[in-house]
Amino acid sequence: MSAQAALPPEHSIAYPNVERGADAAADARYQADVIVVGSGTGGATTAAAFAEQGKQVLILEEGALHLTGSFSTDPITALRRLYRDAGTSMIMGTPPIVFAEGECVGGSSVINGGMSWRTPARVLDEWTGEHRLPDLAPADMERHFARAEQILHVELQREETWGRHSRLFLEGARKLGWEPEQNRRNMRSCVGLNNCALGCPTGAKQSMLVTEIPRALRLGARLVTHARVRQVLFSGGRAVGVRGFLVGERRERRHRFEARAPLVVLAAGARHTPGILLRSRVRPRALGRHLRTHPNAKVVGVFDERLDPWIGAHQTHQLHRFLDEGLLIACSAVPPGMLAIGLPGLGREHAARMRGYNHMMTAACLVEDSGEGRVRLGLDREPAMSFRLSARDIELVHRGVAMTAEIMFAAGAREVLLPFAHLPQISSADELARIHALERRPGAIELMTVHIMGSARMSRDPGDGVVDADGQVHGIPGLAVADASLFPSSVGVNPQESIMALALRNAERLGRA
Amino acid sequence: MPQRMTALGPGSERILRACFDAIRPRGSGFDQAIEEDVLAQVDAMLPHLPPTLRRLFPVGLRLLEWGPPLFARPRRLARMSRLPAAQALEYLEGWQLAGGLRGGLLLGVRTLLFVAFYQHPEVLRSLEVDWESRAALLTRERAALLAREAQ
Repeated sequence: MSAQAALPPEHSIAYPNVERGADAAADARYQADVIVVGSGTGGATTAAAFAEQGKQVLILEEGALHLTGSFSTDPITALRRLYRDAGTSMIMGTPPIVFAEGECVGGSSVINGGMSWRTPARVLDEWTGEHRLPDLAPADMERHFARAEQILHVELQREETWGRHSRLFLEGARKLGWEPEQNRRNMRSCVGLNNCALGCPTGAKQSMLVTEIPRALRLGARLVTHARVRQVLFSGGRAVGVRGFLVGERRERRHRFEARAPLVVLAAGARHTPGILLRSRVRPRALGRHLRTHPNAKVVGVFDERLDPWIGAHQTHQLHRFLDEGLLIACSAVPPGMLAIGLPGLGREHAARMRGYNHMMTAACLVEDSGEGRVRLGLDREPAMSFRLSARDIELVHRGVAMTAEIMFAAGAREVLLPFAHLPQISSADELARIHALERRPGAIELMTVHIMGSARMSRDPGDGVVDADGQVHGIPGLAVADASLFPSSVGVNPQESIMALALRNAERLGRA
Repeated sequence: MPQRMTALGPGSERILRACFDAIRPRGSGFDQAIEEDVLAQVDAMLPHLPPTLRRLFPVGLRLLEWGPPLFARPRRLARMSRLPAAQALEYLEGWQLAGGLRGGLLLGVRTLLFVAFYQHPEVLRSLEVDWESRAALLTRERAALLAREAQ
C-alpha cells in the first residue's frame, strides 16, 4: 500500500480561513455579508449554501477545531474536547433527562450516530396542515432531501461490518414478526469501528467537519473558533450583527468581539439559539416554549453467549414498525465507561455486573414526545431547559421498554436490565407483563436524549411561533434560525437530515429575498 | 506519593478519595491499583463542567461527608470518610436509592469515578476490550478499501 493510502482522505482535509479565537491577543471586529452562529448541521449547511451564492460568510463556533486524526476511542478525552459541558447537560423535570450535544467545529454531527432519515411524511403533513406552513409537503421537500442525502453521503451499512449484537437484535425482532429497517447513515465506506459518538477516527462518518465546513471554507467563508455569541445587535429594528466573547480552551472569557453583517443566522441548537435570542431581548411569546426532547429509555440485555459489543458497526438497524405510534427502537453498543453509568449498584455488585460487559446488548426506545418543555435564562444568563412528559409519553416509554425487552428475550437474553428504579430487571419474557402493570412513576424512569427541537418554532402566525416559513424571525429583518429550534413539532426520527433539508430550503429562500 | 488534584481543594479531594474508596468496583477482576489515575482523570474533567456544577461540586462532597448523622441508617455520629468501609458503602448506597437531589448528587460523583475507572487501560485489558488497536487497524483498512474502490 502506498504511504498516501495509509490514511483515509478525511485525514488530509485542508481548513483554510480558520482563526483560532482562543489565540486572539486583543478584542476583535469582523465584517461579513452573512454571519452564521454555530457550525453543526444547520450552521455548516447554511454557511456553504450562502458561500455558494457568492456571499462573504463568517462562521462563529464556540468550540474548537478538532481534526479527524485527533479523534480518540477514550470517552473522557472526547467528552472534554467535543461535548458541551463535557456531556453533563440536563433537562430539568420529573424525571430529569440527561442531554448531550456537540461543542466543536461540526457540532453534534461530529458526535452523532450518523443516522439520516427524512422527516416522516405524516409530520410534514402536520406542519403544512396544522401549522399552515407553505411548501413543506413531501413533494416540495423532495429535492432538498435528495440534495441533503448527496451532501451527507447516505448509504447502508455493509453486512460484513455488522456486529453480533446487531445480528441478534435483528434475529430477535424478526422472531416477533417485526422486520427492522437497515439504517440509513451518512458515511462513506464505513468499516464498523462504532466510535461515532466520540468522533470518527476512520473518517467514514461524513459529518459537517469533513463535508460542508471545508466546502464553505474553500468557497471563501471564514471560521472563527472559540467564539461565544452572547447577543444579537440591532439597528433601526433590524439585526445588524452579534457580539460575544472569545474564550480559552476551558471556555474562560479572554476578549470581546463584535461581528457585523446584514444577515445573522442562528444555528446554535435548540438550547442556545433561544438563549441568544432571549439575551438579545427578542421576546416573541413562543420563544423558548414548545421544546421537544425525543426521550430515550435504555434497556440492556444480558446473554450467555459472548457478543463482544465493541466489535461491529454502530446501530445497523432501526425498528420503524411503530413509528406512526411514536416509537423507534434500535440497538447500539457503548464503551464500558458509558455503560457503567447506567448499570445499577456500587462496589462489588457493580463490578460483578460489569464483568459481563462482553455479554451485553444495549438498545433504546425513542419516544416521539407530545409533552412540552421550555428554555429559559437562568440566574447566570445561560439557557436552562425543563421538560414535562405527557401522560402519552409515559405510556410510550413503558410500551417501548417492554417491546425492546421482548426483542432481547426473543434473541436469547437471560436477563434484561430496565430503566425503572422500581423494576430494575426482569429475567424472562413471562415477566414482561410486570412492565405494563408497573405503577407510572415518572421520577423513577431513567431517560436521556441527544435530540432537542422546537424552541423557536416555525409558524405562519407570529403569536404561535418565533420564525416564519423561511426561518426568518417574525418582525426582525436580517435575523434567521437554521437548526432544530425551528421544527414545529417532534419529528420522531433522528433529526439530522430534517435540519439539513430545511437549512438548504431556507438558505435558498432567504438568498432570494 | 499521591498527586494533588488541581481542580479541587485539599478538603474536597480527601472526601472524593474516601468516596472512591467506598464505592469503587472490587472483585470480579477489578482490583487494579489505579486510584491515582482515576482521580487524575476526574481532575482533568472537572474544569470542563458547567460553571454552576463546578461551584456546587465541593458543596455536594461536603454533604456526603457530613451526612451520616442525618442520612445513615442507623444514624452514625461520624464523617463518611471515617466510617469503616462496609458502613461507608452502605451509607452511600442509601444516597443512591434516595432519588431526588441526594440520588442525583451520588449519581454525579459515581459517573465521574466510574467512567474514569472502566475506561482505564488496565481495566479495558481485563475486560478484553481493545477499541484503540481496533481503531488504528480499521483506519488503515478503510484507507485500503477506498483505494480499492477508486481503482
